[in-house]
Amino acid sequence: MTAPGTTLSSTAGDGDPCGCPGREFTRRTVLRGAGIAGLTGLLSSGLSTQLAFASGPTTGNDVLVVLSLRGGFDGLSAIAPIGDPGYAAARPTLAVPENRALKLDDTFGLHPSLAPLKPFWDAGTFGAVQAVGHPDRSRSHFAAMEELERAAPGTSLRTGWLDRVIGLAGNGSPLQAVTVGSGTSALALAGPAPDVAMRSLDDFSMDTDNLAHRKRLTALRAMHAGRPGAAGIALTALDRAAEVRSSTPAGTGYPTSGEGQELGSALRDLARIIKTPGSTLQAACVDFGDWDMHENLGTVDQGRMTRQLAGLGAALAAFATDLGPHHLSRVCLVTLSEFGRRVQQNGSAGTDHGSANTVLLLGGGVIGGKVHGVWPGLAPSALDRGDLANRTDYRDVLGELLRVRCGVPNLSSVFPGFQPNPIGVARP
Amino acid sequence: MPVPARGPDGSPGPAPAGPPAVAGDPTHLLLRTTYGLSRQLVEDVTATGPTAWLEQQLDPAGIPDAACDELVSRFRWLDASAAQVRAGVNVGSWDAMSELTQAALARACWSKRQLFEVMVDFWGNHLNVTCPSSEVWDVRAVDDRDVYRRHALGRFSDLLVASATSPSMLRYLNNDSSTKTAPNENYGRELLELHTVGVGAGYSETEVRHSALALTGLTVDDATGTFRYRSGWHHVGPLSVLGWSSANTSEDGGLEVATSYLRYLAAHPLTARRIAHKLAVRFVSDSPPTALVDRLAATYLAGDTQLKPVLRQLFASPEFAASAGQKTRRPVEDLTAVVRGLGIEVPLPKDGVVGMLHWMSYERGQPMLGWHPPNGFPDVAAAWQGAGTTVMMWRQQLSLAGSWWPKNLRHPGLASLLPDPRPTTNGGLVDALSQRLLNRTLPGDERAAVLGFLGPESSRPSDEIFDWQLPWLVALLFGTPSWSRR
Repeated sequence: MTAPGTTLSSTAGDGDPCGCPGREFTRRTVLRGAGIAGLTGLLSSGLSTQLAFASGPTTGNDVLVVLSLRGGFDGLSAIAPIGDPGYAAARPTLAVPENRALKLDDTFGLHPSLAPLKPFWDAGTFGAVQAVGHPDRSRSHFAAMEELERAAPGTSLRTGWLDRVIGLAGNGSPLQAVTVGSGTSALALAGPAPDVAMRSLDDFSMDTDNLAHRKRLTALRAMHAGRPGAAGIALTALDRAAEVRSSTPAGTGYPTSGEGQELGSALRDLARIIKTPGSTLQAACVDFGDWDMHENLGTVDQGRMTRQLAGLGAALAAFATDLGPHHLSRVCLVTLSEFGRRVQQNGSAGTDHGSANTVLLLGGGVIGGKVHGVWPGLAPSALDRGDLANRTDYRDVLGELLRVRCGVPNLSSVFPGFQPNPIGVARP
Repeated sequence: MPVPARGPDGSPGPAPAGPPAVAGDPTHLLLRTTYGLSRQLVEDVTATGPTAWLEQQLDPAGIPDAACDELVSRFRWLDASAAQVRAGVNVGSWDAMSELTQAALARACWSKRQLFEVMVDFWGNHLNVTCPSSEVWDVRAVDDRDVYRRHALGRFSDLLVASATSPSMLRYLNNDSSTKTAPNENYGRELLELHTVGVGAGYSETEVRHSALALTGLTVDDATGTFRYRSGWHHVGPLSVLGWSSANTSEDGGLEVATSYLRYLAAHPLTARRIAHKLAVRFVSDSPPTALVDRLAATYLAGDTQLKPVLRQLFASPEFAASAGQKTRRPVEDLTAVVRGLGIEVPLPKDGVVGMLHWMSYERGQPMLGWHPPNGFPDVAAAWQGAGTTVMMWRQQLSLAGSWWPKNLRHPGLASLLPDPRPTTNGGLVDALSQRLLNRTLPGDERAAVLGFLGPESSRPSDEIFDWQLPWLVALLFGTPSWSRR
């Protein structure tokens, strides 16, 4: 039995042997796509969902895009601390060589696979924050991801932080918050505020070209109206998605093969929604997983990391180009990952679960061209149990962007018990 | 094909005193223990009564299943050893894994051993090894056969040991490269967090390390793709995890040490609670009553991790009887229920139908066996609220009802769902269809919405309905809130 059932999983593979001998197969398994939501029962939070969107002329209505690099992103490969003597010492075969990195400042260099993003770095719309962490130290993918997306440690809240943002500042449109690339909403959006998850924009449609189609849709509306659950939201969102398709053509320039293909498709759809005249989009979640490289991470010339970063770089650069200066000016994209990797490479030429990590920033709403944060260094004495020390809480990064760029002045219910400190990532 | 295993001691049967009576409505039992109602299923349970039907299902080897066995026998690699797969396909080929995902969906649709298939899926998710994933290209089907299918209704302790010595799991969670000098914690951690006691059990990072060290040496023979214990890789020295300890004094004794650790974890009270809770989430509700979970956990421990007594107790419980309508169908369960409800028959060889049905499961966001993280597909309604999935399900329900795609469906025609003579009123038509598909009538508001499609309740259905609109009408039944629950 063949197509289309053989194209089961979207990243690469698709039945083709990777051509490597023996045990060299790449792992495409971990932490991608299909929705991480529902690791626990999601109880109603009791939070009010007041509609108090503070609109503003140039700031205050940016689209916040959360790109989840699931599996444990290795920020030390992406924004490599080539100027830190501890780096090459800890990673004798995995460190990005100093002469291969694209120099960013005295300490950091960009992995060569991310070269398509260098022009945006130079233009100030692509940047990074180093040594970003969060309170969970379980080193468990699931516990860490859940805590990251719940963002309410020490409380019994079961909603995601982005759901609380939309509850506070959403405009009420069904396309105020979307998960693109997966039919299941990101856990950060779990909760009572309406949002839409779509595998792709083209799939998110129903036929209406005969009487029976239309009668059925009318009956579906009648039986689902006013009920909790996905169906009611889906019916309204269908109308909005149809408007996007009819008004705005799909962008070009996205990767059509390799590790960045699926991410590119999701970002292409997202850009289309953002570019639609009168777009109501405020927040979006996109996943790009497979970062859990416990073994055979490879070098800058070949292997899993260089391929995965190339996919990331190509897709993000295409997204920024497709949006163009006008739309990019009101986008803030941040990458989040449940944890970084341990500084020391392991015995399998990979890295195990670590702690603090790198956050990448893209868009006109962020201050790029700079590595933000405090660099604790990689000297053995500077490490926290073998990990890069956590010097900036990820909620500091998100909080500043939400307050300065996204019109959410009061963050106390978004990040309960936490007072974000601005670190200078948001363009005023 | 391998016959589904009986109990670990070979005994198929119920307890001598007779099994406890199944509680509640027989349709409720069917909705929870199968991949969807069919006319045959309803007739079977009506004939035997629910308690006897459940006993049959708990002894799957005793259920004749020729049509599905024949279907599954068409796949080349399900029965093969790792060596045969390696000899028969290109290195790294996804052929064997692709067959397995399709076979899993085919069995869900057409096997008469429905509860067995539900439990195979349950354990496949509990001990998830994403299929397809490239590092298990040659061994994943072996895993399915020797781990989940062999022990699905047996003893959890045996299942866990089988999983820990399965090349598939060892590669997926990197234990195959974990050695005393370079231990890899991935499997040692997930064993605690996901497979047994759970993340809240209070183990320390040192205990995670000991967990990994206890398992060093359990690896895969690269030449054959079979399990191998490499004593030279095993860490020697005292170990302790959550009350288990071992002096662990020799490399040669490492496999015994690992087995003792695994069996200890399987019989740990926290594991009992986790398994009991998970079964209750599968079969009772998204937030199952604590008292039920406590009783199931006690039965699990008293029975030395045997699963059948736990299931018997669950289906006989008042909590089960009281839970009708509290579970929501996940996308795959909706797909199989539509196939079964329409009476679509076992496909003919080489017609591609199973592959296309599998593609449908992927498009709705639940590719069979395809969950990526090691924790398995979520089993609560809140995880499946995506509008995109909802829309895709509506589209596919219509396509299947109309027999438009997949091509070559052996679809009996929608007229077969109607009584003869046909209902003479719109109200009668809705009721006849809902009786056939849901084995009950719809609640008033849903019935009224369907009548919106048809016209006034007491009027005669228009000719257009029977001429060409039945696919949309049947799809509308699949779109009701009542259909979405199980």
